[in-house]
Amino acid sequence: MDRRKFIKQSTFLSIGGLFIPSVFFNSCRKESLFEDINYDGKVIIIGAGAAGLYAAYLLKSKGINFQLLEANTSYGGRLAKLEGFADFPIDLGAQWLHGKNSILGDLITKSNTKITLDDSSEKYWFNNQLIDKLPKDVNSIFLKEENVPDVSFKDYAIQKGFSTDYQYIVENIAGDSGASASSISAYWKMKEEENWVSGDDDFKFQETYFDFIDQQIASAVNDKITLNTVVKKIDYSQDGISVTDTNNTTYLADKVIVTVPISILKSNDIQFVPTLPTEKTNAFSKIGMGAGMKVFLKFSNKFFDENIIGGSVCAAYADESIGKLTNQNVLLAFIMGDQAEYLTALGSDVAITNALLQELDLMYGGQATASFISSHVQNWTTNPYVKGAYSYSTVGMGDARKIAAQSVNKKLYFAGEAMNINGHHQTVHGAVETGYREVIKILNDIVK
Amino acid sequence: MRNMLLFGFLLFKCMDTSAQEFKIDASYAYLYSSQLDKAIQTYNFTRPILTEKQPLLTNGLNASVSYIFRNDKHIKHGINFSYAYFRSWAENKNFSNQLNLHVANLGYLLHYENPEKCKGFYSELIVSATSSLLYKVLNDEPFVYDETLSKSFGIGGAVQLKLGYSFQLKNKCYLSPFLSFAYTPYLFSPNNEAVINQTKGLVCRNWTEILTAQFGLAFHVRR
Repeated sequence: MDRRKFIKQSTFLSIGGLFIPSVFFNSCRKESLFEDINYDGKVIIIGAGAAGLYAAYLLKSKGINFQLLEANTSYGGRLAKLEGFADFPIDLGAQWLHGKNSILGDLITKSNTKITLDDSSEKYWFNNQLIDKLPKDVNSIFLKEENVPDVSFKDYAIQKGFSTDYQYIVENIAGDSGASASSISAYWKMKEEENWVSGDDDFKFQETYFDFIDQQIASAVNDKITLNTVVKKIDYSQDGISVTDTNNTTYLADKVIVTVPISILKSNDIQFVPTLPTEKTNAFSKIGMGAGMKVFLKFSNKFFDENIIGGSVCAAYADESIGKLTNQNVLLAFIMGDQAEYLTALGSDVAITNALLQELDLMYGGQATASFISSHVQNWTTNPYVKGAYSYSTVGMGDARKIAAQSVNKKLYFAGEAMNINGHHQTVHGAVETGYREVIKILNDIVK
Repeated sequence: MRNMLLFGFLLFKCMDTSAQEFKIDASYAYLYSSQLDKAIQTYNFTRPILTEKQPLLTNGLNASVSYIFRNDKHIKHGINFSYAYFRSWAENKNFSNQLNLHVANLGYLLHYENPEKCKGFYSELIVSATSSLLYKVLNDEPFVYDETLSKSFGIGGAVQLKLGYSFQLKNKCYLSPFLSFAYTPYLFSPNNEAVINQTKGLVCRNWTEILTAQFGLAFHVRR
C-alpha cells in the first residue's frame, strides 16, 4: 500500500470509526428506565401525600392503571394550606424547601415557581433574656461530629458540657427533627444524614408548598384520588390484593403502595392479612414519630424578632410573614415533641394560645397580649390520619428504616418520608423520592 | 517570567536528550459506565415533566501526550498524560441541563514496536491513575447550591491498550491512526449520583467502572 492510499483509507476509516461504536452501543443503551414497559395490572396507592401523589404521577406517565385512596377530606397529607387567616396563604404543614438540590428543586426551576431564601436572623431566650448569641455554640455538636455515641440529643448535650441552661435550645434543635431532645438519637440522626445532598439552605414559597405540589403534581392525578377513604384492611393472601375501607368497600389491585405516616403503621390502624413479618413490624416500632403542632398568632404590631429560639413552652417561634407579600404580622409557633404533648394536653385551642401569649409576654414585656388579634392552631397530633409531626431516628434504631422500606412478597410496597433511607427523611422531597423509588421497585418486579 | 521560560526550556532540553519519542494525539472517545447510565436513566424516568430526555454520557473528545524514554529494545517505557471531556445536554423550556465530565489520567506506558516483524505497527499498554470531575450547568450557569458548585470528584485507576500504525511524514515526524480501549475498574466517585439525580445511596454505588473506546490520530516526533 502506498502512502497516499494509506492516508486516504485512514481518513475514511477515521470518520466512519467516529460513529460506529456510538451507533452500535447506543442502540443497546436506553436513556430512561422502563421505556417499553407494558403493564395491565392495577396499583392502589394508600395515602395522597407527597409520596403517594408522586408515585401516582409516575404511574400515570407510564400509562399504568392506578387509584389513590386518601383518608382525609383533602389530598396533600402533611401539606395543607390555610386561607383567610391573613392576607397571604399559610402553610399548615410542611413549609420550607430544605435545599434546592433535589427533584423538587428541578420542578421549581422548570415551573418558574417563586421561592425565597430564608436567611432570617435568630434570637435566643436564654436565662430569661433575649440575646443575639449564645455563650457557647451548641448547634455545632450536632453537625457531622466524629464518634458520636448512640444517646439522645439531651444526653449528648450534657456529655458535651452544655448545662440545663441550654435545655430548650437543644429542644429546638431536636424539634427541627420533629422530636423531643430526650427521644432522638444523636448518632442515628447524624449517621442517616451522611447521605443528605439537597443542601442546607431553607427556602420559602411565595405562595405555599401545598400550592406548588398541587399545581405541579396533584393536578395531574387528582381525578384518580378517592377522598374520605379510610383503609382498615389489606389482604394480600391471594394472587390479587383486596383493600377494604371502613365503609366495607373493597378495592382490588395487583400491587399496593402504602404511604401512610409511620404512626399509622405503628398503631396497627391498618390490618394486614397475613400479618407483616415480625422483623418489619419491629422496624416500624423503632422509628420515632413525635407530637407536632403549628400555631399561627396574628398581632397588630410587629414586636417580635424574626426567630426566637429557646422558649420553655415553644422552643421555636418564626416570623411567618418573611418571604410573603404582606404587611401583616403573623408569628408561627413551631412546637414539637414534649412541648406539643404538653400543649395538646391543655385541651383547647384557647388554652394553647394563652400559654404561648404568656411566654411571649414574658419575652417582650407584655406586648403579645396587648397586640394579639387572633390565632389558628394546627395540631397534627390529633389528626387521626397523621398522629404526629414526622419521623425521627430513635436511640438504638439501627437499620430500621431499611427494613421498614422493604417490599413484601412483591405485592406491598412502602413509601413516605419515614421510609426514606437516603438521608432525606422528614422532608417533602424525601417523601417524593420514596414515591418514585417504590414505582421503580414495582416495575422492576414486573419486568423480572 | 523570563526565569520561568528559561527553566521550562532547560527542562525540555534535558528531557529531550533522553527521549526516544514524543507523541501527542487527539481522538473521539466513546464512554460506557453502568453507574452513570443508571443515575441518568433514573433521573429521566423520575422527571416526566422534562420532555427532552438527558442523553447518557457517551460521546467525548480525548487528547493525550506521551513521552517515551530512549532504549534499543523493542519494548520501551514512558509516561503518558491524557484528558477526556464528555458532555450530556438536554434543552427543555426553562430548564437547560448540562452534565460535564472531565477525566484525566497520568500513567506509565509500555510501548512495543518491532519493525522487523510488523513495520509501522505499535502497541502500548498504559497503567494510570485516574481522576474525574463531574459537574452540572443549569440554564447556562454552573449549578450552585449553598454557595457551592454541585460537583463530584473521582479517583481511581485505569488500564489502557492502544494499537496504532505509524507512517513517516518527514524526517523525525510521524503520523499514526490508532484504536484504544481503556478500562477503569474502580473510580471512587461518591457524589456522581448527587450531581445527576440529586440523591445519594439511592441509585448507585459510591464507585463506578468506566469503559472507553477511542479512535484518533497521533503525531509523533522520534529521534
